[in-house]
Amino acid sequence: MNIETFKYDNRIVRAFAIATVIWGIVGMLVGLLAAVELFFPGANLNFQFITFGRIRPLHTNAVIFAFVGNGMFMGIYYSLQRLCKARMFSDFLSWFNFWGWQLIIVGAAITLPLGFTTSKEYAELEWPIKVAIAIVWVAFAVNLFGTIVKRREKHMYVAIWFFISTAITITVLHVVNSMTMPAGLFKSYSMYAGVQDALVQWWYGHNAVAFFLTTPYLGLMYYFLPKAAGRPIFSYRLSIIHFWALVFLYIWAGPHHLLYTALPDWAQSLGMVFSLMLIAPSWGGMLNGLLTLRGAWDKVRQDPVLKFMVAAVTAYGMATLEGPLMAIKTVNSLSHYTDWTIAHAHGGALGWNGFLTFSMLYYLFPRLYKTQLWSTKLANYHFWLGMLGIIFYIVPIYVAGITEGLMWKQFNKDGFLQYPNFLESIVQIVPMLRLRSIGGTLYLIGVFMMAYNLYRTAKAGQFEPDTEAQAPALEKTSETPHGKYSFHRFLEGKPMFFTVLAIVAILVGGMIEIIPMFLIQANVPTIASVKPYTPLEVLGRDLYIREGCLGCHSQMIRPFRSETERYGDYSKAGEFVYDHPFLWGSERKGPDLAREGGRYPDAWHFNHMDDPRSTSPGSIMPRYSWLLTQQMDRESLPARLAALRRVGVPYPPGFENGPAQKDLEAQAAKVVANLKLGSVNCAPDKEIVALIAYLQRLGTDLKSAPITTAAK
Amino acid sequence: MEEKIICSMSGVGIYGVISICIFVAFFAGMLVWAFTKKASYLDKMGGLPLDSGEINSNDKTQA
Repeated sequence: MNIETFKYDNRIVRAFAIATVIWGIVGMLVGLLAAVELFFPGANLNFQFITFGRIRPLHTNAVIFAFVGNGMFMGIYYSLQRLCKARMFSDFLSWFNFWGWQLIIVGAAITLPLGFTTSKEYAELEWPIKVAIAIVWVAFAVNLFGTIVKRREKHMYVAIWFFISTAITITVLHVVNSMTMPAGLFKSYSMYAGVQDALVQWWYGHNAVAFFLTTPYLGLMYYFLPKAAGRPIFSYRLSIIHFWALVFLYIWAGPHHLLYTALPDWAQSLGMVFSLMLIAPSWGGMLNGLLTLRGAWDKVRQDPVLKFMVAAVTAYGMATLEGPLMAIKTVNSLSHYTDWTIAHAHGGALGWNGFLTFSMLYYLFPRLYKTQLWSTKLANYHFWLGMLGIIFYIVPIYVAGITEGLMWKQFNKDGFLQYPNFLESIVQIVPMLRLRSIGGTLYLIGVFMMAYNLYRTAKAGQFEPDTEAQAPALEKTSETPHGKYSFHRFLEGKPMFFTVLAIVAILVGGMIEIIPMFLIQANVPTIASVKPYTPLEVLGRDLYIREGCLGCHSQMIRPFRSETERYGDYSKAGEFVYDHPFLWGSERKGPDLAREGGRYPDAWHFNHMDDPRSTSPGSIMPRYSWLLTQQMDRESLPARLAALRRVGVPYPPGFENGPAQKDLEAQAAKVVANLKLGSVNCAPDKEIVALIAYLQRLGTDLKSAPITTAAK
Repeated sequence: MEEKIICSMSGVGIYGVISICIFVAFFAGMLVWAFTKKASYLDKMGGLPLDSGEINSNDKTQA
């Protein structure tokens, strides 16, 4: 037997580990600021770059892609080498992956506060950064597959399957959802409109949670949990079932983000049913993890690594039970748009991703630095502080979410809305929002304690850049010891064939849901009176996107009496055929705006944007006074209109060159005249004029004419 | 051509039925596959993470 000696690369693991800690702190600090702004809107100091609408995507991107992303790479680069008994395929690609990813994060941290955003959740970054993400991700995938190909271990452990599914699915999701038409360096319009855009976005958004926050971390659980417990996984058979059932089912469940919206009913039902089925593999995985510790629970009492892991796996189980329950249409009718969703997301993020990341860090640092953890006691304090933080975070937010949901639906005995003013529900939950920020603070203090503990551990030990290892070279045969040919072993021995099968399993669901949505005209009945936005409204809509208004305001009235009473007629699929991108939103911290047009005079909007509390006492909306002074960007209008035409909005040829500017001036003059009626003087070139024009347009296409289906 | 055929399909509810059928077939096949694995093979696979091949393993270095 030819025994080979080789070295595992620890430098790349350490680099990702340090980045994980730093970005984790940054992402959570931004989250805390966003949480404070929700009950104290003045916390942005009237500074547009740190206003809630702009830092919410910064927080989500930082936590998902910077904290968990770096944590994922850290874990994969450590475990993959050891599972394959091979150094990473290419050191260059490893470092390209590392520095490229950090640059992307820095790019996001600069562009999102500046308001460069596509508005699509977890895919907000503008097209140049999206291209960079694709390049870096492909470099990671090549490095992953290269390492698998040159491995010395004949079999691919289940963790590697999870890594493969992550690499390929994220590539597919990112490419399909990023199809945009650039209108300048930092502006683009989604190729899809309205309902189609919503379906593609939530197919992406849901599966970003599945294949970025879940599958790689499950792979890491299957590696690090047995390592930390010193015993194999409870049932390898169960892990096979867990993997295939999970990757196959997950992809179908995306439409559960769009229940009771204008998405066709068949797609909603598919999303709901497949979400419920997801409980089985998810709980299979959770139990597999927990049962691995049977007979070894005494270790959990002493070892903070296992403590964090057990809590993380339990949080995974809780979140994956709650998610499918929230995907039941009746439950969703109460939970959607409320803080319940935020509580669900944070149960998963703080418990599952956060705690599993901490456990990996506590596991890796002593090993990378050849020493003991500096303080087990401090790590235990971190654990309990983190647990308290999670509880103080999610419990108040559950209460807030259910309160909101019930108040929005409540009718009095005469059949009128009990709380007709949306603001009443917000005032009610402000104490919960305050409590939530205390929970977040506790959690963050724990992370600081961990950072200090890891720093002291590193100081006390000596870093080992390469770990020497030995393994026999892999013989090229796919025969079993008994000479019988096994399909499963053949599959394992052929990573590329395995990958193709995994891609098929993943794509089936997406294709069955998405392709009919694009091809069957009956899914999106067009409405004759729905017309493209005017040039001024286009600029206003882009300001709405820049400021992240959809972080708090939906534009999707569900077909419930409680919603139609409050907001007007429910939303139809045909209303959104020119919406590139769709702006339905997923959370209401303010009222729905789908029928906002004509509800208030122009001057009301002006005063409301200047100081929301002047028109709506108790409002938690931040001031947008910069809109009153900043000039609208008329120079970019031709590029914007041309890009919109390219994605299918029927502006006449040449419209953007001259007529559009005249049209814009005429409409701006009307807005200015309306403002004068309300004793407001405003120059026609200010951003607020465009935003008011857009807000006054919302929903008016249907108000002005009866709904008739356009002639085919 | 494809587009014409799909556009003219009536009763989009068929997608739900197709989806469940695909899933049941997939899941049944996977169960058969998983349950025909030999115990010795499963034991070997389960033990993979515990052998990292490191010469001077410091796996005992515990927090």
